[in-house]
Amino acid sequence: MIQLVDVWYRIGGNAIFNGIDLQVKAGEFLYVVGQSGVGKTTLLRLIHMEIFPQRGKVTVSEYCSQTIRSGEIPYLRRKTGVVFQDYMLLDDRNVYENVAFALWATGVSGRKIKKRVFHMLADVGLSHKRYSMIHELSGGEKQRVVIARALANEPFVLLADEPTGNLDSESADDVLRLLKRINSRGTAVVMTTHRLELVQSFPGRLIRISEGKLIA
Amino acid sequence: MSLNASYSFREGWIGLRRARLASVVTISTVALTLFLLSSMLLMTINIHRIIDTFKKKMSIEIFMDSSQTAAQIMELENRLLRTPGVQEAVFISKEKALEKFREEFGEDPLALLGENPLPPSFQITLKPQYRTPARAEEAVHWISQLEGVDEVVYHGRLFKTVDRWSRTILLVDFCLLLLVLVSTLLLVANTLRLTLLVQSKNIKIMRLVGATQWFIRMPYIIQGVIEGGLGGTLSALILWIVLKGVLLRFPVVLHGVLTVLGMPILLGVFLGFFGSLIGLKRFLRT
Repeated sequence: MIQLVDVWYRIGGNAIFNGIDLQVKAGEFLYVVGQSGVGKTTLLRLIHMEIFPQRGKVTVSEYCSQTIRSGEIPYLRRKTGVVFQDYMLLDDRNVYENVAFALWATGVSGRKIKKRVFHMLADVGLSHKRYSMIHELSGGEKQRVVIARALANEPFVLLADEPTGNLDSESADDVLRLLKRINSRGTAVVMTTHRLELVQSFPGRLIRISEGKLIA
Repeated sequence: MSLNASYSFREGWIGLRRARLASVVTISTVALTLFLLSSMLLMTINIHRIIDTFKKKMSIEIFMDSSQTAAQIMELENRLLRTPGVQEAVFISKEKALEKFREEFGEDPLALLGENPLPPSFQITLKPQYRTPARAEEAVHWISQLEGVDEVVYHGRLFKTVDRWSRTILLVDFCLLLLVLVSTLLLVANTLRLTLLVQSKNIKIMRLVGATQWFIRMPYIIQGVIEGGLGGTLSALILWIVLKGVLLRFPVVLHGVLTVLGMPILLGVFLGFFGSLIGLKRFLRT
């Protein structure tokens, strides 16, 4: 499903990855841990094909980093939902509009959007807040909106970049419970974190990034 | 390409209202620069017109021997009209020449000299492509070769001076016009980029959730076209008001007013379209 083969990536003179290999199977829950600045976000950006390796290849579903055309990237991204630590929500739109935005942007028709958004908001437990503005939500609620948006296009994998980074431990547990529930329905989750206690509470496969290498 | 037209139009319109300050700046910039451009264009059209009228009036006079018969004059007229560069040949008889002399100088040569000393003549207007000193001299050469032509009067030096000055004026005017056009393009592209900068987060989110490039572009192109069109309309309105005021004080006939009033609207739409397209490029790099 996701495969990285001999991936090399450097920024300027700084080597981030020195020939890493990784495989993420369908329905898997993978934690990526490591110190700040070690390359956790870079790994997700490589999978999301925001950036491309200087050597080696990244394969996500039928798309390969070596052969993908720029016009195909949007279709890859519909299959890979993304969740950010800093939410990336539109502050001037309400909860419903933020989730619907992902569907509008991918050309889904109006009737389907309404049905799908209501379903997604019910799934993340935010139906009652659908008309609330983003600034009226707590951090945990914001992150649940982001997860609903990321799942709106029914991706096969969710890439979560420190989704609990800005949350207190109770909200972080809520978000993890939600991610685990989503994962139990067959959606793979690749999550970066530096909070090892979460890994102990919600078990999953763990890899560590250190000195440009992946350690299982 | 997945496009949802109603979504694009709605988002384009909403975008205008959301980035209100940036939109006002863009519309005002387009309006002011297009006003400057239209004024320059109006000036160019009219300077060109004045020069052209002057050149048209730079006619050649041909004097004939007074003994020429009507048949010879008619023959000469036919030959003149076949001569390269001649557009029109107007015959001025001895009597008509006398009448004109009396009108212009208030004196009667007939009373003074006892006979009409003025010869019959032709007033030649050259074809537009012959209204340059070099080509006019070429035409004069051919005309002077014709049988029955006694004297050719052509103000070559004056023509050369007018031509030299008109070229200089048009060159300066053209350079200024080009300068204003390039500045307008750069200014509009930059101010539109300001609008896009305000909405860069939306663009980033759209890219991350898998919107196609055209889907992302459409609302902003529509927004740019609306801003450009509004700016162009505003500039046409300002120009119309200014022209009305000027023409009330100085009643002159201006040419090309309708063209110059319509041009900014079309140019505004054009600038809005391409400005958005250029401005978006930076945000859409993968």
